[in-house]
Amino acid sequence: MDLENQKRVLEFSEQYGQENVVVLLGAAEGEAASLAAETVTLGDPTFAGPLAGVSLGLTVYHVVEPEVKEEFNADVYDEQCGMMEMVLDVDDICSEMNAIREQL
Amino acid sequence: MSNSVIKGTGYVLVHVPGMVMDHGTTQTTEKIVNPNSDYLKEIGSHMRSYEQVVNYAPNQTYIGNMSIEALTQLGQPWYEEGKEVKGERYGKFGEIMPEAEFLLLMQACDAFDLVRLEKGFVEAHKAELAADPVITEEIMALVKDGVDQSEIDHFVNDEHAESMTYEGKLVGYVKRAHDVDTNLSAHVMFENLVAKASGVLSILHLLRESGIDPLDVEYVVDCCEEACGDMNQRGGGNFAKAEAEIAGLKNATGSDARGFCAGPSHAMVEAAALVKSGAYKNVVVVGGGCTAKLGMNGKDHVKKGLPVLEDVLGGFAILVSENDGVNPEINLEVLGRHTVGTSSAPQGVIQALVMDPLQANGMSLMDVDKFSPELQNPDVLKPAGAGDVTEANNKMIAALGVKLGMIPKTEMKTFMEQHGLTGYAPTQGHIPSGVPYLGFARQSILEGTTKNAMIIGKGSLFLGRMTNLFDGVSFLVQKNTGKEEAVVGAAKTVTIGLAAEGTELGEENLKQAVALAAKKGVKVVIMEGGHAEMEAKLASGEIDGAVAAHYPFPIGVSTVGRVVTPAYGKEMFIANTTGTSDTDRVAAMVKNTVAGIIAAKACGVENPTVGIANVDGAKATEKYLKKLAEGGYKVNFTESSRADGGAVMRGNDLLKGTPDIMVMDSLTGNLMMKMFGAYTTGGSYEASGFGYGPGLGEGFNNLVLIVSRASGAPVIANACAYAAELINNGWNKIAAKEYAAANKAGLAEIVAEIKAANVKAAPAAGAAKVVAPAKETVTFGILGIEVMDIEDAATALWAEGIYAESGMGCTGPVVLVSDANGAKATEILKAKGFIS
Repeated sequence: MDLENQKRVLEFSEQYGQENVVVLLGAAEGEAASLAAETVTLGDPTFAGPLAGVSLGLTVYHVVEPEVKEEFNADVYDEQCGMMEMVLDVDDICSEMNAIREQL
Repeated sequence: MSNSVIKGTGYVLVHVPGMVMDHGTTQTTEKIVNPNSDYLKEIGSHMRSYEQVVNYAPNQTYIGNMSIEALTQLGQPWYEEGKEVKGERYGKFGEIMPEAEFLLLMQACDAFDLVRLEKGFVEAHKAELAADPVITEEIMALVKDGVDQSEIDHFVNDEHAESMTYEGKLVGYVKRAHDVDTNLSAHVMFENLVAKASGVLSILHLLRESGIDPLDVEYVVDCCEEACGDMNQRGGGNFAKAEAEIAGLKNATGSDARGFCAGPSHAMVEAAALVKSGAYKNVVVVGGGCTAKLGMNGKDHVKKGLPVLEDVLGGFAILVSENDGVNPEINLEVLGRHTVGTSSAPQGVIQALVMDPLQANGMSLMDVDKFSPELQNPDVLKPAGAGDVTEANNKMIAALGVKLGMIPKTEMKTFMEQHGLTGYAPTQGHIPSGVPYLGFARQSILEGTTKNAMIIGKGSLFLGRMTNLFDGVSFLVQKNTGKEEAVVGAAKTVTIGLAAEGTELGEENLKQAVALAAKKGVKVVIMEGGHAEMEAKLASGEIDGAVAAHYPFPIGVSTVGRVVTPAYGKEMFIANTTGTSDTDRVAAMVKNTVAGIIAAKACGVENPTVGIANVDGAKATEKYLKKLAEGGYKVNFTESSRADGGAVMRGNDLLKGTPDIMVMDSLTGNLMMKMFGAYTTGGSYEASGFGYGPGLGEGFNNLVLIVSRASGAPVIANACAYAAELINNGWNKIAAKEYAAANKAGLAEIVAEIKAANVKAAPAAGAAKVVAPAKETVTFGILGIEVMDIEDAATALWAEGIYAESGMGCTGPVVLVSDANGAKATEILKAKGFIS
């Protein structure tokens, strides 16, 4: 995850409290989504950014996961994400995300 | 208004393993944050050799040697063993330059003595750079001798200079351009010089590929991702002009356009609009490479045991020109824009860039043969977890097409295979963004295998921390729909006055001429009142131009004849045939060349070729014309058809019409006109050609064409048609433009230089300056004066209180005085030995 984004995530969690922050991902691949999810929960696996060794344990979802999709107005979701749902490998992303959450 | 066309493309790569280590931000950051990391220890063993880079299939595609189809068929990943191809350094579109030569090119592109290379290194590699066919002697002359190693060590170790390394050895430095200004630090100067040098190399290949004369480029738009300027104007610019200077584009200026990865597409749209509007005829869009992005994904590559694939700089240059009826057009009707109000979600982006412009023009996805979005090489990004960007874009376009009902869902895969491309460009930010395909697109559209392609550029603006908005533009390149007809409204019925008093062939001949001209669509009115009526009607606009049997032009004005040469029936302009453009023979021939170019261009010859007749002064004329060309005035010299070539023409070339314009002095030109016009008749009747042509000279705005008293009806009719053609093509605007260009290139200085070289004797000491008497109407012509003495003769009459003007009649130089002074003036000139 981009170092600048790590910094912002850390700042938000300090400002609002870890329990009040949800991280919503839009990564194009399961592997990239998994890395980002790991960074905001267990800590930066590359040990390069502000979240290296910091386990925030934040709630994290990818925007194509069914739990998130249910939260949206269906028309708005279709307009904003309908195309990408067709493009992305949704199953792979969901299983990668679940794998990270299971480690919490 | 006619669409612009893509007239040529240039694509270059530069293999720079040294820069990957010293200047790629992933590596430089690691050196600061984690100097003892395993990555830094390992990366050296993951660098590719120059041969491996040349034999890497995507690189051969980038320079045009391997088709995208062949690359796709080879199958990813291309870095695998066994997938190497037999690569070449040079390709159809450009080349893959080795690092040593590029370091020398960087030094040549440095205008401020910031770059120094080691002595032995320069000696070892200079000849290699000189052997590159696009590197000119002018560029090689900028390569300086090397310095001692100790100087390099000192600047790198003690003076904050950036290192230039080759094969692990420090061989040069780029020093800072200011002690405290961070915008002129060695680091920034290094990056900017890399962008400039790779931009220059791209332009040089574009010039080679398109065959355009460098002097014909009028504007350059640079769209690289660097910024040049000092602490008071961080992105002041101007890369475009700096690159144009080194590439020899003397008649160009330019400016920089930026838009992150979308920059090249923005620049293409701007260039197309500049050409379509008529502001410029030839615009070059250029983007050089970026050192910061070298090895950006190196950690992933090393971790996965791959070579560091981001080891090349990329560059490209595209020539956008006015419509030639042949090359693919840029259709600005089909223009996609991501606006401020557009959603930044991928769906909103694809809708705005792809669907909106198509739907606005009643087109469907299926109407576009190829979509060219970001063309990043998937070999580089897949191992880094970013996937195949090109394929993802193809998929997004197809998916939105399905949503909009343009294609059935079952056809998505087929659509992607048929209308999508495979990525192959180096991940240099702006470089892969749509434009790499323009080279292949131009080729396949010209061959007829593709009818159109949509180029899509996208950019992530958040990186600049000014806005979170996304950005992009797209445009359509399509098969040429044929050259647009000339604007009809501009062509009006032209009326030509014919003042042929003194013709030796009688009234009937004139009547035939008028009838023949009418058949050619030219209205001709005979001027019964001779020159007086002709001049009055030209002034009132009653006639648009005139054809006269003789006419005393002032010195500085002479005529450009037009003949049909006998060998192949080719037309040729004879510059010049009557009148005197200058009293110095060589200066006159230089000016005649400009007049010849004006006449030819005003008759629709786009880039007329010039040859100099082998008469006294020809060699000197050639020398001074070359000087004029060096100053930026375009003289398109041809080669003699004789075996020994050269711009000086022989008798054969006269008969064959080798050049479009044959330059000579006007007395020889006059003889030539007679020969070409009457060689079939014995001389008393000129039967072929267009006559002696229009009087041209700076500031002379009356259109008067000359025929002779022996010109037959066909020649007079052709002269009238020649006049009409000049009028319809806006001869006076063309003349003004050519004289302005010639003057800008130093015509006046060159003429002064010729005259200075010819001064034989200083004027007599104490000679009083003669003042002209009061001006009066001069209609009495005194003939028989030597052309060289004509101004002295007029001055001699002034000294006697007689107002006189010098001029050129069709039979030779003439001094004009009032009728009242005619006899007296003749006596004076006889007494002073001007006439016998």
